[in-house]
Amino acid sequence: MGLFQQKKRKTPQDQVVEEVKSLFDNEFREQLREHGRLYFERVINENAALFKQDLDATVAHINTELRQHIARQLDNQFTQINQVNTELRKHITDQLDKQFIEYSHTMKEAQEMALRTLEKSADALKEQHQALSAALERSVAKQDAMLTSAVEENKNHIEEMKAAHQAAVQSLTQSVEALKEQQTQLSALLDKSIAQQQDLIIETFMNNMARVVEHYVLGALGDQYDVKAQLPSIIQQLEENKKEIADDMKL
Amino acid sequence: MSEIQEKTYSDFVLPANIVSKVDLARMISDLERVDNELTEIEVRKKAGAKTDPNLTMSDQLAEFLDQNKLDIHDDHERSRLIKQLHVLKEHVPVIHVTFSAPADPESLQEIAHWMRQSVHPQVVISAGLQPSLIAGVYLRTPNKVHDLSLRTKLRQSSGLLVKELEALRGTN
Repeated sequence: MGLFQQKKRKTPQDQVVEEVKSLFDNEFREQLREHGRLYFERVINENAALFKQDLDATVAHINTELRQHIARQLDNQFTQINQVNTELRKHITDQLDKQFIEYSHTMKEAQEMALRTLEKSADALKEQHQALSAALERSVAKQDAMLTSAVEENKNHIEEMKAAHQAAVQSLTQSVEALKEQQTQLSALLDKSIAQQQDLIIETFMNNMARVVEHYVLGALGDQYDVKAQLPSIIQQLEENKKEIADDMKL
Repeated sequence: MSEIQEKTYSDFVLPANIVSKVDLARMISDLERVDNELTEIEVRKKAGAKTDPNLTMSDQLAEFLDQNKLDIHDDHERSRLIKQLHVLKEHVPVIHVTFSAPADPESLQEIAHWMRQSVHPQVVISAGLQPSLIAGVYLRTPNKVHDLSLRTKLRQSSGLLVKELEALRGTN
């Protein structure tokens, strides 16, 4: 059998696969991949350029359309606003006219009232002015009289003061002279008095000399000089006065 | 008749130890006490009781009796003596003597002795004290004063001091 066994034959598919495998090796694949990438980029760039053109055109168209639309809308709005403005102006004008008429009327009444009040005030002021003028005239007359009398009195006072001043000056002069004289007398008297005082002090001192000595002796002797020590002296003094003592005892 | 009947108060001699009127009064009191005791003894004698004849008396009384030669055993004479001593106490002359320092009894006795010898035999002293006298005495008799103090002497001698001072002033 083996002898007869034939070698397994490759199928076309296998052959294709093998062929493909030999054709599409890695390098070829890489080239293909590079080629694909370049092609894809070119397609994308082209499409992008086309898309950009379309987009620019669309934007330009939209701009134009939008500008036209806005212009139309604005025109309409302006038209409406102008219309409203006209109506509003007319309304306000009417209202203002009415208010002005009322204000004018009121103002006129107020002016008339104020005018009447002013006239009354003016009349009252006039009366007051007249009364004040009369009072002022009376006061001025009175003040004038008083001032005249005061001036007269002051004149008299001034005369009296002058006289008094002269008298005072005279009196002062006399006083000064009297004082000078008194000073002279006092000076003499003082000298005399000082001399007298001096004599008196000396005299007093001399009169009290015994007492001074007495105090001194008393202080010096103290209690040490007792009666026993004094006895001879006492007896001697008694002897000296014996007759007088005896005579007095006989009476 | 004893001597008491003859003697009156003016005849009595006072001993030296009786210096003041107080001493005299004390002596009279002592005599009265003795008189009482003697009377008591007499009464007891009459009653028959035993008596103790020892009598005590002060030195002043004993000396007075001795100096005046008096016997006090008779009660009538004793009574008369007491009466006379009372009269003497009333009439005894007193001299007030002021000293500059407290006087001791001996000095007082000596002064009293001198006064009885020189002035009056029955004089008594009333002693006082005045330190400002400095020294000496100040006597006051019934009608006079006798200033025998050093203070008065100094005052009386002030003229001498003045003269001395004036002499010193003249010298200076």
